[in-house]
Amino acid sequence: MAKRLSRVLLYLIVILGGITMLMPFLWMVSTSLKTAPETIKVPPLWIPKVFQWGNYAKAFDAAPFARYFVNSVIVTVATTVGQLFTSILAAFAFARLQFYGKNLLFLIFLGTMMIPGEMLIIPNFVTLSKLSLIDTYGALIIPWLASFFTVFTLRQTFQSTPDQIYYAAKIDGASDWKYLWTVLVPMSKSTITAVTVLQVIGSWNAFMWPLIVTNSETMRTLPVGLQAFTTDAGTQYQLLMAASTFVILPMVIVYIFLQKYIIAGISKAGLKG
Amino acid sequence: MKVTFKDVRLSYDGKTDTLKQLNFTIPDGALVSLLGPSGGGKTTTLNLISGLLPATSGQIFFGDTDVTKQDALQRKVGMVFQNYALYPHLSVRDNIAFPLKMQHVAKAERYQKAEELAKLVHVDDQLNKKPGELSGGQQQRVAIARALAKSPSLLLLDEPLSNLDARLRIEMREEIRRIQRETGVTTIFVTHDQDEALHISDAIMVLNDGRIQQFSTPTQLYDRPENLFVAKFIGEPVINTLPAEKLAADLTNHIDGDILVRAETAGIRSEAIVPNDYGQGVLTQIHASLHQAQKYGREATATLDYQGETLLSTELAGLPRDQSEGDFFLTRAGFFLFDNRGELIYGGDADDQ
Repeated sequence: MAKRLSRVLLYLIVILGGITMLMPFLWMVSTSLKTAPETIKVPPLWIPKVFQWGNYAKAFDAAPFARYFVNSVIVTVATTVGQLFTSILAAFAFARLQFYGKNLLFLIFLGTMMIPGEMLIIPNFVTLSKLSLIDTYGALIIPWLASFFTVFTLRQTFQSTPDQIYYAAKIDGASDWKYLWTVLVPMSKSTITAVTVLQVIGSWNAFMWPLIVTNSETMRTLPVGLQAFTTDAGTQYQLLMAASTFVILPMVIVYIFLQKYIIAGISKAGLKG
Repeated sequence: MKVTFKDVRLSYDGKTDTLKQLNFTIPDGALVSLLGPSGGGKTTTLNLISGLLPATSGQIFFGDTDVTKQDALQRKVGMVFQNYALYPHLSVRDNIAFPLKMQHVAKAERYQKAEELAKLVHVDDQLNKKPGELSGGQQQRVAIARALAKSPSLLLLDEPLSNLDARLRIEMREEIRRIQRETGVTTIFVTHDQDEALHISDAIMVLNDGRIQQFSTPTQLYDRPENLFVAKFIGEPVINTLPAEKLAADLTNHIDGDILVRAETAGIRSEAIVPNDYGQGVLTQIHASLHQAQKYGREATATLDYQGETLLSTELAGLPRDQSEGDFFLTRAGFFLFDNRGELIYGGDADDQ
């Protein structure tokens, strides 16, 4: 009986948690289908009287979203691929190679994880403006080409692969480079997928940095583009939410297909980190 | 391929030597075991041969070529690891073909070779499976096939059977012997199991404390151990040892006085203590009391009390139960005397007389 009760309680907590997480998302979808007066109605209206599908067309026309979408895709792909490449190499070096000052270097990099990202905004901005890269793809991509979090996560996975596999590959005639790409990377598929997905989501949703380093309309990414609905005259919530819905749609699709890897990757990184 | 070590020394920390002045030659086409207790230097020696470890000093030759400065990539040896070390993401076929892929052999050709090798080691019906779907014995076979794929000059096996259960171990050691005979590849096999080494090797190198204790045929190792360590290490049950002086009175008329003076320890194999003199080359007679007799399956052991020392014999099964004290005989074969440095000074030549 006690066992059953605790189970009921457990489910109750989980369901409550789930609803809490889901609420903003459902609110967004619901708002995107309302008329303007309905969005600010008290008490709140969960299901609009008439679904305003036209909001989506209006939102799409309100700003050059096609251009923003292309920018978002370019920035997301470039940062993810670039970061993965540098991180795999660095993680391999930290996990397997012997070089002078390895442990000290690792500790210093580990220390950088303690610095809040917001603190880096100004120095990064200054650096990029000195390089006259502000308002270019360079500004959107270059600062994110290295991530010690990804290096650290991959290093933990690389280190947990048995030494004998490495020696076997050596004996079989594989150089370090070949071993890395033909054995170690395929063997670490689940972790690599997980960090990739985390990076894609982070990069796709990035708001602060693109807002700061881009000025022109043509360089904006989707999350920044959503600002178009906030004007001096107030915010058009129904259009903002319609746009938000199609901005996050690709990520929802990615998540649905890769949730197994994401969960595995996060729990792995969490356990070992 | 003949392997020669010339004054090879290895030190991990630059202070103490893990391996001390190793000198040996492994003849071409032989199956040689490196045998010894854990930490004796067997795997280290194997890693020096494979090139995974560089020698601190000395020279290593493959045939007449000095390979001391070459790394594992250049030496082109095949190696089987204790935990098999198969690539988990590749099929059996791709695992066996991997060394050939590294040599840029065309796909069709390397798959054909992989299939031939799979046949040789009897895993040709498992080619499409992943290593995780195979039993331990099958994984070991795949590992051997992979090691043979590039037609290596040497096949190195690092405790390849220790992860298998007892019955499979015996089966696999016969398999390794068969595969070695069929391919004729010079094979070096690391083990801590003397039974394994005695059964499959052409020659055995006993290593302890970073030194070669003895390098000879399995029979020689048992019949003529060059020192006390080898005598104690080889043989099951373990050889009886006792201070030589306790036997002095029983030996004086049979062994030269100057040998007896130097003798510090006597070693008596359990089968060298017999109840009767049937003319099987008896050395001397001892008076002892029967202490205890036990029988395990087809093995019977008896312990004797001789001058306060306990001696184990495996030859006293037919003894009358009521006999508790009497005369027993020591045969010449299986009786050894060692000096104070543990070197053999008497025995081991019974067959020559």
